[in-house]
Amino acid sequence: MAKTAIGCEPTVGSLAPSKKREYKVTNRIQEGKRPLYAVAFNFIDARYYNVFATVGGNRVTVYQCLEGGVIAALQSYVDEDKDESFYTLSWACNIDGTPFLVAGGINGIIRVIDAGSEKIYKSFVGHGDSINEIRTQALKPSLVVSASKDESVRLWNVHTGICILIFAGAGGHRNEVLSVDFHPSDIYRIASCGMDNTVKIWSMKEFWTYVEKSFTWTDLPSKFPTKYVQFPVFIASVHSNYVDCNRWLGDFILSKSVDNEIVLWEPKTKEQTPGEGAIDILQKYPVPECDIWFIKFSCDFHYNAAAIGNREGKIFVWELQSSPPVLIARLSHVQCKSPIRQTAMSFDGSTILCCCEDGTIWRWDAVGAS
Amino acid sequence: MSSRATPSASASRSDPSKDSQRYTLNSRTSLAARQNYLFGWTPRSISGLDDLLARKGMLGVQGSNQSSKDILSVIDSLKKQVAVERCIFIKKRMVENNEKLIGVTNHVYTLSKERSNSVINNTEKNLDLLTKRQRDAFGMLNGLDLTNGEKDKNGSQEDSYASSAVLVGSSFGMKNVVRPIKLPEVKKLPPYTTWIFLDRNQRMTEDQSVVGRRRIYYDQNGGEALICSDSEEEIVEEEEEKREFVDSEDYILRMTIQEVGLSDAVLDSLAQCFSRSPCEVKARYEILMKGEKDAQCEKKGSTDDKTQMDDSFFDKDLDAALDSFDNLFCRRCLVFDCRLHGCSQDLVFPAEKQLPWNYTDEENVPCGVNCYRLAQKLESNAIRSSPVHNGLEEKPVPSSGSAGDQISPRKKGTSSSVGKKLKSNQSESASSNARNTSESSESEIRPRQDNSSIHNSSSPQKAKLVGKCGVHKRNSKRVAERVFVCMRKRQKKMIASDSDFVVSGCVWPRDMKLRSNSRKENEEATSSQRKVKTPPTRKPKKKELPAQDSSKSTFNGHDEPSDEMVKGPPEAISDETSKKEEFVDESICKNEATGDKSWKTIEKGLFAKGLEIFGRNSCLIARNLLNGMKTCADVYQYMSCTENKLSNRVGDGTNSLVEGHSKVDYNDTMGSELRTRSRFVRRRGRVRRLKYTWKSAGYHSIRKRITERKDQPCRQFNPCNCKSACGKQCACLLNGTCCEKYCGCPKSCKNRFRGCHCAKSQCRSRQCPCFAADRECDPDVCRNCWVGCGDGTLGVPSQRGDNYECRNMKLLLKQQQRVLLGRSDVSGWGAFLKNSVGKHEYLGEYTGELISHREADKRGKIYDRENSSFLFNLNDQFVLDAYRKGDKLKFANHSPDPNCYAKVIMVAGDHRVGIFAKERINAGEELFYDYRYEPDRAPAWAKKPETTGSKKEEAVTSSGRAKKLA
Repeated sequence: MAKTAIGCEPTVGSLAPSKKREYKVTNRIQEGKRPLYAVAFNFIDARYYNVFATVGGNRVTVYQCLEGGVIAALQSYVDEDKDESFYTLSWACNIDGTPFLVAGGINGIIRVIDAGSEKIYKSFVGHGDSINEIRTQALKPSLVVSASKDESVRLWNVHTGICILIFAGAGGHRNEVLSVDFHPSDIYRIASCGMDNTVKIWSMKEFWTYVEKSFTWTDLPSKFPTKYVQFPVFIASVHSNYVDCNRWLGDFILSKSVDNEIVLWEPKTKEQTPGEGAIDILQKYPVPECDIWFIKFSCDFHYNAAAIGNREGKIFVWELQSSPPVLIARLSHVQCKSPIRQTAMSFDGSTILCCCEDGTIWRWDAVGAS
Repeated sequence: MSSRATPSASASRSDPSKDSQRYTLNSRTSLAARQNYLFGWTPRSISGLDDLLARKGMLGVQGSNQSSKDILSVIDSLKKQVAVERCIFIKKRMVENNEKLIGVTNHVYTLSKERSNSVINNTEKNLDLLTKRQRDAFGMLNGLDLTNGEKDKNGSQEDSYASSAVLVGSSFGMKNVVRPIKLPEVKKLPPYTTWIFLDRNQRMTEDQSVVGRRRIYYDQNGGEALICSDSEEEIVEEEEEKREFVDSEDYILRMTIQEVGLSDAVLDSLAQCFSRSPCEVKARYEILMKGEKDAQCEKKGSTDDKTQMDDSFFDKDLDAALDSFDNLFCRRCLVFDCRLHGCSQDLVFPAEKQLPWNYTDEENVPCGVNCYRLAQKLESNAIRSSPVHNGLEEKPVPSSGSAGDQISPRKKGTSSSVGKKLKSNQSESASSNARNTSESSESEIRPRQDNSSIHNSSSPQKAKLVGKCGVHKRNSKRVAERVFVCMRKRQKKMIASDSDFVVSGCVWPRDMKLRSNSRKENEEATSSQRKVKTPPTRKPKKKELPAQDSSKSTFNGHDEPSDEMVKGPPEAISDETSKKEEFVDESICKNEATGDKSWKTIEKGLFAKGLEIFGRNSCLIARNLLNGMKTCADVYQYMSCTENKLSNRVGDGTNSLVEGHSKVDYNDTMGSELRTRSRFVRRRGRVRRLKYTWKSAGYHSIRKRITERKDQPCRQFNPCNCKSACGKQCACLLNGTCCEKYCGCPKSCKNRFRGCHCAKSQCRSRQCPCFAADRECDPDVCRNCWVGCGDGTLGVPSQRGDNYECRNMKLLLKQQQRVLLGRSDVSGWGAFLKNSVGKHEYLGEYTGELISHREADKRGKIYDRENSSFLFNLNDQFVLDAYRKGDKLKFANHSPDPNCYAKVIMVAGDHRVGIFAKERINAGEELFYDYRYEPDRAPAWAKKPETTGSKKEEAVTSSGRAKKLA
């Protein structure tokens, strides 16, 4: 990466904890022996704000956070294929509001589980290799997008089971796609990143008719005219190594590589000339000992804070939107030592969950918050 | 961090040169204002500047010799200031973004609220199970004591010690309530990388290259990431990247130099500060200063004249307008933005041109309201009683203008302009450029237009004819004669064309004479010219004509002796003719007087092109090329004028380079026309023998290459730009390929592949020279190769009765079998055939990205690691890579005992890979072919049991799945 020019330096957060908020471990669950790769709260439906799910091995488990640090297991799903290893999950819902759990992993099959009836709703076969991340469009929660090792990002309609768009091809990723995220307000826009060290911003504006068509499609899903989106609107080289997590923060993007930090940057795209543009790196949030890939961070509902685990089992909670960034808290526990693959922040950030390589789930609650 | 507003007693030297060290108490504001004005970069916080100014004040007193320490301190304070600015900027952006985001998340929040409410209302009775479980769990929790929560005192942050007690509180409910629900197994797909379907090969685009790029390969099994790159290349790439100066750097640069002056020391420290080279900094400073001056000037002028951009297209000449066409249009595939041959190909202009469009008489009908036919009828019936003839039958009128007309401009082209020689064949650009400049001279020439027709008639035989009968008759007669003459002329020309050199030799002296002649003439005509230049003065011209006529006659007199063919004296140029000529021209020029000027460069260029394409058919030219710009009548008038001018120009021999270029347009068309005809004649004469010798020669060498190919790959063809039959310098010849129809050389080129003339054999065996040379037949080249349309079911009779269609054009015509993609019986994916086929049937093409061998080596490193490679050696230049782009045949597996084989075939100048049936294959069978890896490189699964050191023509690779097979 080129040296930053004078006057374009990012503001780097200080690792000195502000003690703005204190967290305490309130629970720990050993779910199994296999590593847990993802944990996520349900932000789609207000009824389930305290419900979260984890994936690991061939298992998907649904829990509820209750008062006093209690975690109640609600549902558990096991893939009959023992070799399946789920890497990611996302909450979604059907158009009638039924809560869906969408999970994917090494087999490349997307499992859409109807949590309302505790049945598998659909399985999407199509990805040519393992699925690294699934995200839900908050404005239209029956749309999910998946990032795969097959170098593609695909947009699915969980209601009709249609693969609407494939983001791959001439301008697509050149290696595994590790992470993908919907823009919070621009419904056409997604950002994806992966092992080719780039972050790509895609627009599906020109293809939106296909998205609409997918809702009314009555024929077989396989007959849907799936389109390839071959060219992203912007390709950003922010990192010089694998980029394993990216999230929109408004119009900015938070992304992380294996360089012990989360980077906040602004993509400056030009509408007239897609593909061109510049990046402005605004802030950096240091995360020590976070130099292995496939560690993902998460934000609370309003994007006030982000929590990220590291290789040694510690969690760093950053205040995202202050400048310079403020480290809200650094969480550690003697017995939490294995790498934390993903964290989950509750709606208001008062609860932080993390799932670890050793198959444990840890719950941290903010002190003073009920 | 807000700006420190305390007005310190800061002093400033606002401009060292102009105001000599003026101390101002409150200069900060003025300076800041000036900065805003000059730099367009607004410092909102001036805390750093305050210090700077304070220090500057002292410096100012001290004089101009600053120590490096001072310089550094100035730079430092500026840097600090910039940094503070940056912080504030970021903060501002963050706040803006935050405000926007709050609205967004609140919206999402209400959405999720609505969702929950609506569901609750709708399904009050049958609660969904997730909600039910939620309530159950809550109920159970309330039933129990809150034991869990109370144990949690010890878990804490900041590494504080935690007892193991906390670990007890746990999965309550887990064991009792939750029973795992099984997700039925779904068969997963064999792995693949998302790929794009290609129905034809594509050349790799620059951004797809992995050469010089660092790639990280993640080894799934070892769990480690490996960096695959060549270190040297990588370094080069990263260092080469040039950073642009950003606003803040510009600001520091300006301010520093403004404060401490420009010196090497300053530049050095600045360079260090920016981590660039001092000269880079200096260059940038100069740019800035210039920009500043411009900005100031602009302010003073305060007017913006940016309206010049309009109409830019029409101001260009044809060549410029065609620039994008030349760059983007592929002349081989006849598409824009060709993915196979790429943009900005070398332009190859054929030495031979096609005949102008051959139109039929049924188009005698006026083409529209503005057709010249109608216009003429209205205008002057008397003079042009049969204008239709003029337009239609007199197709090659430019050529009808005398031998001199035909030959001399070309001679001029070759003799006088080197530039033209370079482009000689079509000299499009030159002509259109020249048109531009020649316009000015044309207006001068106009008065002499009457010359032209006379000059026409003064040419050899015609001169006689005209003299004897034509002159006294009406114009229409003359026209007919002209046609007649021109026909004779052409015939003669055909004979003469072979001996061009001789003719040109003859022309030389004549040209010289002409030149001197025209000088005289010019002198004479100057007065008239002057007058005619102003369009309204029409009448004076008439009066001057006699003078011109006389000059003409002398001129003709000079002309004749130089032409051996001419026997009779020029005579016959009676006043009558000249009058008539004049009259005709008059009528033309009437409109042209205004018309000529209103013809834009591009229109003229288009007209010239139209003349090439359609010949003298103003209807077609106007309709196809000048639609919306000029009407048919306009075109016709212009055509008549230019034609006259042209011949005139030839005659008067003012012979400026420029004119020579512009004329080439016409003459080239004519010339090539003649050439093709003469060739035709020649072919007719001794076809058989010649063709055989050529063919056998080409055939032999090609076959040789085929035999050589076992150890030497085919060679990539690039069209040569030879102007005449290819000699030893021909690029194709040097490269060892045949010339193809895309080459510039004429069809008679000895290096051309002559195609076949198979009939009954249908080009299906090695007896067909095309087939034997691993080429597909090309109807453009082969003599008897044809295919019918459809299968006769639509009632269309087949084109020929013999039913011997060529069977060697299947790649070209995409007559391929339906291939299905499915789970292989062997491993991974496989390709299957839908319908059964016979032996040697063409199944389909193996398409992919065309990459260089170097690129392939780089990509191969990764593919080999994954044991999944789709590389296919195509020829000496290219390798096909079907990894991300290709078709279903890339999934055909390897087998040592295959039912298919691959073959590199030359199709219309491109090498392509066809997959053929080795034996009869039944419907639904899986396709296999021998990948033919080089013995030493083949993976274990592709190695043959016995070493057959035979055909190693192409190294095919494919999905590594087949490895499980062996």
